[in-house]
Amino acid sequence: MTGNVLGLGIGIAALGVGIGLGLIGYGAMGGMARQPEAIGKLQVNMLIALAFVELVFLLTVFIVPGSLR
Amino acid sequence: MEVWIGTSTSWLAAAGEHGGKEHHGPGFWGLVFYIGLVLAILFGLMSFAKTGLKSRVFTKPTLFGLPVLGAFEQIYLFIEQLCVGTIGAHGRKYVVMIMVFWMLVFFSNLVALFFPTAPTADLSFNLGLALVSIGYVQWEGIKANGLFGHFRHFAGPKLGGMLILISLIIFVIEIISELMKNVSLSLRLYGNIDGGHRAADAMNELGKNIIPLGGDTGLSIPIGAFLMPIKLLTCVVQAMIFCLLTCVYLSLVTHHEDEHHEEGHGQPVPAGAH
Amino acid sequence: MPIGVALIVGAALMFAGMYVSTAKLIDLSALAEQGIPLDLGKTIATVGVLLILFPVIKFFFVAPLMEAIQTRNTELEKTFSEAEELRTEMASMKSDYERRLADTEAKAREQIQAQIREAQELRKSLMAEATSRADEMVKRAQDEIEAERQKALGGIRLQVANLSLMAAEKILKESVDTERNRKIVEEFIDTVEVPAS
Repeated sequence: MTGNVLGLGIGIAALGVGIGLGLIGYGAMGGMARQPEAIGKLQVNMLIALAFVELVFLLTVFIVPGSLR
Repeated sequence: MEVWIGTSTSWLAAAGEHGGKEHHGPGFWGLVFYIGLVLAILFGLMSFAKTGLKSRVFTKPTLFGLPVLGAFEQIYLFIEQLCVGTIGAHGRKYVVMIMVFWMLVFFSNLVALFFPTAPTADLSFNLGLALVSIGYVQWEGIKANGLFGHFRHFAGPKLGGMLILISLIIFVIEIISELMKNVSLSLRLYGNIDGGHRAADAMNELGKNIIPLGGDTGLSIPIGAFLMPIKLLTCVVQAMIFCLLTCVYLSLVTHHEDEHHEEGHGQPVPAGAH
Repeated sequence: MPIGVALIVGAALMFAGMYVSTAKLIDLSALAEQGIPLDLGKTIATVGVLLILFPVIKFFFVAPLMEAIQTRNTELEKTFSEAEELRTEMASMKSDYERRLADTEAKAREQIQAQIREAQELRKSLMAEATSRADEMVKRAQDEIEAERQKALGGIRLQVANLSLMAAEKILKESVDTERNRKIVEEFIDTVEVPAS
């Protein structure tokens, strides 16, 4: 039973993180389309933001199973 | 269901990995072997590329038709642009360090594409990498601001009176955040590379379950191989993010020395990067 | 950090990590159960390896690469600046040449103008000379005509006097003092004479 709850929890985390990544991509793409000359800076900042959001999911994956024990 | 929580690291049980299969990364001598492999590839490429260093245009030593030295030059230019764009004009002196980081992480990731495991798929190696990176950042901060100035930098803005308590709290939080930078750097790299392995494993398992080619021999269609392109992308992006975050930490630490006569140079440092 | 120190510390850390890992001095099995397989011995050894690796890679490859790129860039810059110099030189030569060409053209035009002006002056003077000579000739001819006319008038007057005398002689049919008569007749003629022309 716990396994199912865990899987659900990780699925919810993935859902949230996916939405977050999509928002970052949306914003970055919009910015790039508006200002093609700023693509370099936008890409770098977008990647930083992606890394941070991704880290949230990784932390969830690593910490939740232990804390639920 | 208790089994996989209790004994294994398999958080991908639902995706087909069967309980009890332990993922502890390579052992000590396994890590030594894989680091040796990475270094052999790296030093082989570097010494091969060094033969063309005298030529005017770096097209000379080619491997499978690709100019090796030209590729290294492109990496160098990319890292230089990264450093100068993130840190500012004085970021040029950190290029060597960042480039070595990039090459190590990238070639480790490449090894992870073709081998069962790799140095960067091992959390311990990544923690060592992060420790060296953050240690280097602290070293550069101390060199730029002096020991006292560097630690005062942790305490945030100058506050008088009873607000000194707040400074103390900020100091503690900043120290914890410095420590967490290690964890964040290493966990990110480990999660991405090892997660890629596990995803490929799970897909292979899926292939074994769906189309059992060889029956008991275990032959199956390696569906996980189709993850190769996205894993390659992950390799490049993770190496780049590692270097980028090191650059950001460096810029945070060395920012104060030229705040006054270099205002507005470079790009703004993302707030709360830790 | 001095490279020697880095190498020694790195080697020491490598062996320390090896000892810690193989002897399992630090037990983190709780973390491993949680899905975080951490072996601090490997971490220590990794730090040691990296401490050795950074200076080695730097001096083995990155520094020569940077130097080569730097040399090439300066060489390129030098070539570019030389080309730029040549270009400016050529531009200055071209403008000089154009200036000289324009000078020559202006000079030629000026010369032509001068020639034309001279020719016009010559023509004017020639025409003036011709007119004056023609005028002179006309005047001389008029003078001659006048003189001829005066001469003719004198002759006619003499003739008239003689004719008158002869007529008077014939009328009077007598010899009179010719001197006196002539005088009378001349006085008469003077009185009736119409002024010449």
